[in-house]
Amino acid sequence: MSLPDFGFYVLCATAIVLLAAQAVIHPGEFVQVFIFGLTQGSIYALVALGYTMVYGIIELINFAHGDVFTLGAYVGSAILGFFAISEGGFTTVNLIALLLVFPAVMLVMGGINVAIERVAYRPLRNAPRLAPLITAIGMSFFLEGVMFLWHGPATVHFPDILPKAATTVAGVFFGFKDVFVVVVAAILVALLAIFINRTKLGKAMRATAQDRDAAQLMGIDINRTIAATFFIGALLAGAGGMIWGLYYNTVYYQLGFRSGLIAFTAAVFGGIGNIPGAALGGLIIGLIAAFSDSYIGSKWTQVVVFGILIGVLVFRPTGLLGMRVPEK
Amino acid sequence: MVRARGLIVLTTATLVAFACGGTTGGGGGASKGTIKIGSDLPVCTIGGQAVSNGVQFAVNQKNAAGGVEGYTIQYQSFDDCRQGAYSADAGVDNVRKMLDDNKFLGMVGPYNSAVAKAEIPIAAPKHFVMISPANTNPCLTKDIAGCAYHPQDLRAGNANNYWRVVTTDDYQGPAMATYAYKTLGIKNIGILDDSTVFGVGIAGSFEQQFKSLGGTVAKHSEYKKEQTSDFKSILLGFKNAGALGVYVGGTDDQNICIPRKQMKDIGWDAPFMGGDGIETSDCVDQASGNEPNIYATSAGADATKVDGAKQAIADFRKAFSGPNDFGGYTMQAYDAANALMAAIGRAVKNANGTPSREQVRAEMAKTTGFKGVIGTYDFDKNGDTSLKIVSIYVVTGSLSDAAIKDSTGVCGSKTKNACFVWKTQFDFAKPA
Repeated sequence: MSLPDFGFYVLCATAIVLLAAQAVIHPGEFVQVFIFGLTQGSIYALVALGYTMVYGIIELINFAHGDVFTLGAYVGSAILGFFAISEGGFTTVNLIALLLVFPAVMLVMGGINVAIERVAYRPLRNAPRLAPLITAIGMSFFLEGVMFLWHGPATVHFPDILPKAATTVAGVFFGFKDVFVVVVAAILVALLAIFINRTKLGKAMRATAQDRDAAQLMGIDINRTIAATFFIGALLAGAGGMIWGLYYNTVYYQLGFRSGLIAFTAAVFGGIGNIPGAALGGLIIGLIAAFSDSYIGSKWTQVVVFGILIGVLVFRPTGLLGMRVPEK
Repeated sequence: MVRARGLIVLTTATLVAFACGGTTGGGGGASKGTIKIGSDLPVCTIGGQAVSNGVQFAVNQKNAAGGVEGYTIQYQSFDDCRQGAYSADAGVDNVRKMLDDNKFLGMVGPYNSAVAKAEIPIAAPKHFVMISPANTNPCLTKDIAGCAYHPQDLRAGNANNYWRVVTTDDYQGPAMATYAYKTLGIKNIGILDDSTVFGVGIAGSFEQQFKSLGGTVAKHSEYKKEQTSDFKSILLGFKNAGALGVYVGGTDDQNICIPRKQMKDIGWDAPFMGGDGIETSDCVDQASGNEPNIYATSAGADATKVDGAKQAIADFRKAFSGPNDFGGYTMQAYDAANALMAAIGRAVKNANGTPSREQVRAEMAKTTGFKGVIGTYDFDKNGDTSLKIVSIYVVTGSLSDAAIKDSTGVCGSKTKNACFVWKTQFDFAKPA
């Protein structure tokens, strides 16, 4: 182990010891902050999955993905406007609206992301790698522009339709919303894992990620498989956007930029291209952000999170669970 | 092409002639010409547009009454928004545009102190009058401790060209500190600022006064809009440190009222206080679900509580009937525009013709006993008003229709029955 490596591990160990100390001294506060981190992290995980899947299959960092996530919240807010929902309490209409709108938003975002792939990335599939990266950044600004024109610069209100039930257990406050976020995210991640590992299309994705040319020779329709990857990534981003809206009830057009970068960090942290890694990375980054907000100060959180990005890239480029990229 | 342009000029001239003929109602006779005044405001925001409406209303009234000493006033509203938020660069561009057109003899604005800081150095050498209806950063006019820049440096040896009809943050923060400590009985508070010049300034002046009264500041945290969406950890920190309320230094465009909503998400029921940057519809929207008990100050008397302004507001509401047309600084803008036009009028008289910018500036500096709708006031040599009134408002939920009409009219766009209601005012010009 080289000296910088050693320093990195010492730093990580120190952080864990300090956190453990907090957990012992103020357990109530620790658990409360842990819940904050878990909810944030669940959303980051959903977004990180989209980054990691796309990177795994075409080695593109899809910078527009964070904006697809934000657009999901905008679209969700718009569709919910058609229902006679009640923001005061949880009604049957709210439940029906939720059950209809949630999948609808996911499908709409899936469709949009497939269109984005078709327009901005597929024509550049064989171009130098910098070219699709630049169109991805362009697409990101394009989507932000669309949202800006749609609702202007101010924060957009997202209907507050979830049950407002909340309780305090042993000094720790949490509500239905917190449980909802974590459970829905967990279900979606589980479904994704089953899809990737158990279905034919999932197998095709894994094959394409491993070796595109060989997969093509085996009769896999590469274009269709890549489009499916974008579709599924955006399903999750759309779900993330909906959850974000339902949880925070506010969204603004530039949200995707920062959330996207953090989710990207989560994907790298878990090992880019690695699906369980992205989910785990999202959770951990969410927790780190919450702990940093509480114990260090929110102005340092960005420094901490992106410090981790640099640290991981330098000292452990394969991430927590190892990178899965095409073998050359 | 030349002919086409001639046609346009002719058409415009005809239209203007018709417009003038229509408004002067046959009296006064032919206009001596036009004088332009501008405004530089973030009109992409509701607050900015409401201010612009106040200027427009004052100009319309003046023109309808025959203009200024026979001149028709032409008003042009410049937008200093970029990417949806105020930008000092955009403001500077706008001032340059006005300076390039000799017909502009002054402007109302800007709205944000950071923009004023960038604009004064460009306008001062050209003796271009700026009257702000809303700038509250004390450093623009006063050389006091804690300022990162000095008024004399902004003006670079030129005569003062900047006035304001509102008082300064060094009164806003203390007013809320006094109110929180003495009236609400809050002795321990958490302070959050949005890391902007305005936010840090007002939060600092609050903290100083709160401590000098004997209060405890549990924690002072800061955030940046681009970096923080989840404030729950910060709020929990305040709560656990014993805070019984939250004071925020910042503006709604920095998402300063989202923490208000999230206080409910951590089960914390406590008052939420801030400066004029939170006395907006956007703020009420951001707080969605937890609107009541947001306290805000405004660096000026509430026009709706001033008897002299009642008629002007009623007339304004007739002319501008939209729900967001009237804002907390609309009447301040109305006064600013009238003070500017009065100075232009005196300069026209003295010059016996179209005055220079320097003449208008000199007349503006001589303004005394100006009878505005928010009061009768003077300006000191720095450009500050003698009115040192700070108003305090609180959001009250579930208001009846009649109560909504009686409120400031600053309500949520979704929760229409949660509005800012005038509570009290502090007059710092009178000894306590």
